[in-house]
Amino acid sequence: MTDGWHARPVVRGLASGDAMVSRTALSFLGDLDIRSGRVVGQSSDLRGRIVAGRVLVLPETRGSAGAWRFLYQLKVHGTHPAALILHEMPDPSVTQGAFLAQVPVVVLSEDRFWASVTDRMPLRIDAEAGLVQPVPR
Amino acid sequence: MQLSDRDKALLDGAEGEAARQAMDALVQLGQAYDAPDMVDIGYAHVHAGMALYKGDVELIEGIAQGGGRMSVPVSTNIANADMGDWQGIGAPDSLGLLQKRAEAAHRAMGSGTSFTCTPYWAGHWPTWNMHIASIESGVTVFANSVLGARSNRDGFFAVYAGMTGRYPRFGLHLDDNRRPTHRVHVSARPRGTADFTALGYAVGQAVGSGTPLLMGLAKRPSLDELDAMGVGMATSGGVAMFVVPGVTPPFGTDEAGAGLPEVEIAEPALRAVFDGFSTGEAEGFDLVHLGCPHASFEEMKDYARLLTGRRIATGIECWITTNRAVHQMARDAGLLAPIRAAGARVVTDTCPISCHFACTCSPDPSLGVTPAPPKTILVDSAKQAHYVRDMIHCPTLFTTSELAVESAVTGRFHPRSLRND
Repeated sequence: MTDGWHARPVVRGLASGDAMVSRTALSFLGDLDIRSGRVVGQSSDLRGRIVAGRVLVLPETRGSAGAWRFLYQLKVHGTHPAALILHEMPDPSVTQGAFLAQVPVVVLSEDRFWASVTDRMPLRIDAEAGLVQPVPR
Repeated sequence: MQLSDRDKALLDGAEGEAARQAMDALVQLGQAYDAPDMVDIGYAHVHAGMALYKGDVELIEGIAQGGGRMSVPVSTNIANADMGDWQGIGAPDSLGLLQKRAEAAHRAMGSGTSFTCTPYWAGHWPTWNMHIASIESGVTVFANSVLGARSNRDGFFAVYAGMTGRYPRFGLHLDDNRRPTHRVHVSARPRGTADFTALGYAVGQAVGSGTPLLMGLAKRPSLDELDAMGVGMATSGGVAMFVVPGVTPPFGTDEAGAGLPEVEIAEPALRAVFDGFSTGEAEGFDLVHLGCPHASFEEMKDYARLLTGRRIATGIECWITTNRAVHQMARDAGLLAPIRAAGARVVTDTCPISCHFACTCSPDPSLGVTPAPPKTILVDSAKQAHYVRDMIHCPTLFTTSELAVESAVTGRFHPRSLRND
């Protein structure tokens, strides 16, 4: 097992949780039910799943200037993800919502990570040092 | 990140705790995007504080009560109730009164309480090279593309920018990011603002978060048409700026975009946007909504002309949404009388997707808000259609402004294909 992967800190903080891995872009406006944290967007491969407490691993977030409000509302309702790991830099709106919600965000572009990350893999995110590590079970 | 002496003083709390927190957040944002320093901003369009979202009005109140004050001109974005007449659109007093608390908080902070997605029609008109912050993507694209001001697609941090007068230099604040990425040849011939929202929507679908250079428009679009086109592309894509040669500062008519990826938008692409958002039955729609984004004075003149001497069919509500400043001008110009005589309603501060019809929000249960959304909403804007689909989850019908009025009067949908003008 690897020691971990270097990541670019976007929203600082520490978090850990089980990965929820998507291969499709996600929009925080419209794709999530804020009360339950359930993915309802038709175009997401996470449809039906609940993001609360999970480390959400996404190629990218789909742009909507209202994204920040829904990410913050997930926090208000206690249905927010533990952290976000993205392949691409998010829109400023997503970043601003994550700041408000205190959800750490990193951008991780290493191919090794995307080849080896699997659903429910326990991960630790250090968005201060810029490190993502697998946690032995 | 290079900080000015005042930036550092703000971080040390020299202008109070609210300003310290605002500056701290902006520095973190700048670090995330590798901003070299901060710029002075001249204007900010900020979050209203939305009564339908739990804890959201309190978020704004907390800043105001903590001593937060705006240091540059500020306008406020759309809210969740018409604060002049929430009963008229069926909102409970609890919701209207909570929304009024956000208005009071903004007044305490010195914000211009415009509560609109079109603050430019209320006189907030930033100019060339002015750095600004904006929570509304339509304002961002209008400022970048029509006025030549500089704005990212911000979220809540526009409030922090308004308080400090500062913003990290990244994204559209840098010259390098203000160049076209796609060359879009428009062979379609849009007429009227509904068409221009559809054109923008098709462009946004094609270029994503790019900056389209628009070639081939038959004539210089009017201000209303430029506005409509911008909101369309900001809705379907992540577009923050478009370039029309000779229109968008500082691009001259010789801007050719040689070597950029090419896209063509022909008439069928426009038709596809109208058809794609016409999912409701031709009869049985119960709300006709005009004025997305919030109507300009010129659009109010058009709607008044179309409605003069007509009568909205029984069982159909017809809303025209605009901002408070335009509402006042329309009243003074005698435009409200024919609209009301026709049985239509002029609504300010909100719109169908922002009011209690939205299913995506989660109001505090004690407010007693029970969403009773319309069965089908007929609109004259691709932006409104898109968000009705995503936030109200009811069918839409989408047509031109003229035919939307005709539909409201006859009770039967008149699709754009019936246009005869």
